[in-house]
Amino acid sequence: MIPEQIKEFSYQIGWRSRGRHPGRHASSQRGLGMEFIGHAPLIAYPDPRRIDLRQTIRDPSEQVWVRIFNQKSSVPVTVACDLSGSMGFAGQMRKLEIASEITASAAYSAFRVNDPFGFIGFDNHVREDFMFTSSTKVHGAFELAKRLAEYRPAHVGARGLQDINRFLPRERALVLLISDFHMPLAELEQSLSSLMRHHVVPLILWDAAEYRSLPEFGVASVTDCETGARRTLFLRKQYRERILQAFEDRRAALEKLFMSFDMPPLFIEEGFEPDDLTEYFYQFVAA
Amino acid sequence: MLFNTYWILFLLPLALLPLLLERTHSRTYSWVDLLPRDRLSDLIGLLLKILAVLALLFILLGMAGPHTPAQQVERIGEGAQIVLTIDRSASMDDPFSGSTVSGRAGETKSAAARRLITDFVNQRKNDMFGMVTFSNSAMYVMPLTQSREAILAAIDAAGGPGLFQTNIGSGLTSALSMYDRTPDSGSRALILLSDGAGRMGADAQQKIRDWLDRMHITVYWIVLRQPGGLSIFDKDFKPKEDEPLPPEIELHQYFQTLRTEYHPYEAEDPQSLAMAIEDINRKEKKPIRYIEQIPGRDFTTHCFALAALMIGLLLGIKLIEVRTWR
Repeated sequence: MIPEQIKEFSYQIGWRSRGRHPGRHASSQRGLGMEFIGHAPLIAYPDPRRIDLRQTIRDPSEQVWVRIFNQKSSVPVTVACDLSGSMGFAGQMRKLEIASEITASAAYSAFRVNDPFGFIGFDNHVREDFMFTSSTKVHGAFELAKRLAEYRPAHVGARGLQDINRFLPRERALVLLISDFHMPLAELEQSLSSLMRHHVVPLILWDAAEYRSLPEFGVASVTDCETGARRTLFLRKQYRERILQAFEDRRAALEKLFMSFDMPPLFIEEGFEPDDLTEYFYQFVAA
Repeated sequence: MLFNTYWILFLLPLALLPLLLERTHSRTYSWVDLLPRDRLSDLIGLLLKILAVLALLFILLGMAGPHTPAQQVERIGEGAQIVLTIDRSASMDDPFSGSTVSGRAGETKSAAARRLITDFVNQRKNDMFGMVTFSNSAMYVMPLTQSREAILAAIDAAGGPGLFQTNIGSGLTSALSMYDRTPDSGSRALILLSDGAGRMGADAQQKIRDWLDRMHITVYWIVLRQPGGLSIFDKDFKPKEDEPLPPEIELHQYFQTLRTEYHPYEAEDPQSLAMAIEDINRKEKKPIRYIEQIPGRDFTTHCFALAALMIGLLLGIKLIEVRTWR
C-alpha cells in the first residue's frame, strides 16, 4: 500500500471523547480548546492565563474566576474485519480486497487527524495474526492491509464476532465493522449487544454476483464457502426472482436489526468509495 | 436371469460412487443457506446422481452379459428320427454298371446315393436327421439334428474318395450311439446304405441286437449291388465247400434274427434306389415328439442402450449447465 494512493474520508463522532490526547473530536477533557464550558475559582483551577476579569469584577464575594475550556481529543478508530470463508467470495471483486482498501483508507484517515488506529481480524476466533494494536504509527496497518488483500480464508464461520469486544479499546471507540454479515441474525444480535459501548459503523460487503447478476438460465452446483454444503441450482426466471427477493428481505432484516442498535449500516456493493463513507458520517452522525 | 461373467457383478457397488463423491466442478458461494429452497433444483440435483448411478449400473450389468436361460419346448411333429449310415468304401465310387436306361450311366453309386438322399431329406420336413459314414471305421458326421442346412451340408460333404474296407459293425454302433443322446420320439429309423457288407464279431452282433431292441429302431438296409451279382434274397445260395457264406447274406440273416423291424432293399440302379427310398419315405410316417432348444434372450444390448440413454440425459443436463457466472 503506497500512502499516496490511499484515498481518505472524513469522519466525525456524535459523542464526547474522553481521550487525553489532543485530536480533532469533541471531548469532555478540559484543556487548551475553544469550547467554553464554564467558570471555576482560581483556587480550584490554578490557570492564571485564563482569568476572566469581567466575571471576577462582577462577583460580589470577590473571588477570582477562571474560564474553563474543553480540548479537542483523539478517538481510537478500530477496523474489525470478518475473515470467514464467505469473505473469500470473488464476484466482481474479492470481498477481502475491498476490506483491505477500507482498512488502508481508515488507517490513513485516522493518521491524518492524529487518531490511533487498530485492527482486529476474526473468523471463528479472533485472529492473533490479524491483530494490530491501536497506534498512531500506521505503517504496520498498511502492511496488514496488504496481507489482508492476499489472504485466502479457510472454510470457517464468523463466530469470533462475539469476542472482539474484549480486544477493543477500553474507552469508547469508533469501530468500522466490515463483514458480509452472512450469519444467523440471532448470533449477530448477540454480538452487537456486546459492542454497544462503542460507536459501530457496519460496512456490509455484498457482491452483485451473489444475487443481482446471476446467470439467466442453467443448472449450477454451488458449494458453501464456510460449511462446504452443496446444492444444485436450476436457475430460471422465477427462481432468480425468488433469490432477489430473499436478498431484499435479508437486507431489510439487517437494516432493521442494525437500526434497533442505532448503528445505521452502509452497504458496499460496487467497490469502496471513501466519499460514500464521508457522506455516511455527514448523514447519520451530527457533528 | 443368468449372466455370462458373474464376477463383474461384484463390481456393482461401484455404481454407488456418484452418491458418495461430490461433483468436482462446483462454484463456491458465500452463503448457500440464504438461497431459498427450490424443489425443482433439488429434484435436478437428485436426478443427476440417480442418472449417474443408473448409467454405471447398466454399464456394469451389460458387461456381465445378462440373458434368460435357454428353454426347451416339446414339439409334436410328423416324422422320424433317422440316422443315415452311409458306406464310403472305395467301391461306392464305382458307377452302377449296365444301367443304360437312366441316361446316367456315368453316375457313381455314392453320387446317386447323395443325390437321392438329398431329395429324401428335402421331402421330409419334420424329421430329425443324423449321419454317420464308415469305411475303415465309423466317422461321426452329424448328430441327430433339426437343422436342414446342416444335414444337407453333411450329405454333400460325404463325397470324395473313400477307403477300401467296410467296417459295418463300427458304423452301426456309432449310428446307434446317436439315439442315446436324443429322447425317443416314437419313430426311429436307421438307414444303412452300402454296396456290400463286412463281417461283424459276435460281441458287436450282440451289442447291436441289444441296442436296436432297447431303442426300438427300425433298420432299413439298402444294398447297392452289381446287376446280376449276388442277391441277399437268394435263399438257395449254397456256398462252396469249406467256404463261409458271403458277408452280405450273413448280415442279412443276422438282421433277420433281430427282434425289431428290418426292411432290406436291393438297388441295382438309381431308379431302384429311388424306389427303395420312396418306400422308406412311406413307411416312416408316425407322429413324433421332440424337444426343441430355444436360446435364451440376451439383454446386453438393452443394458448398454439404457446406459447410453442415461448418459445422454446427463449430457443434456450438462448442456444447460452454467458456464459463466457473471
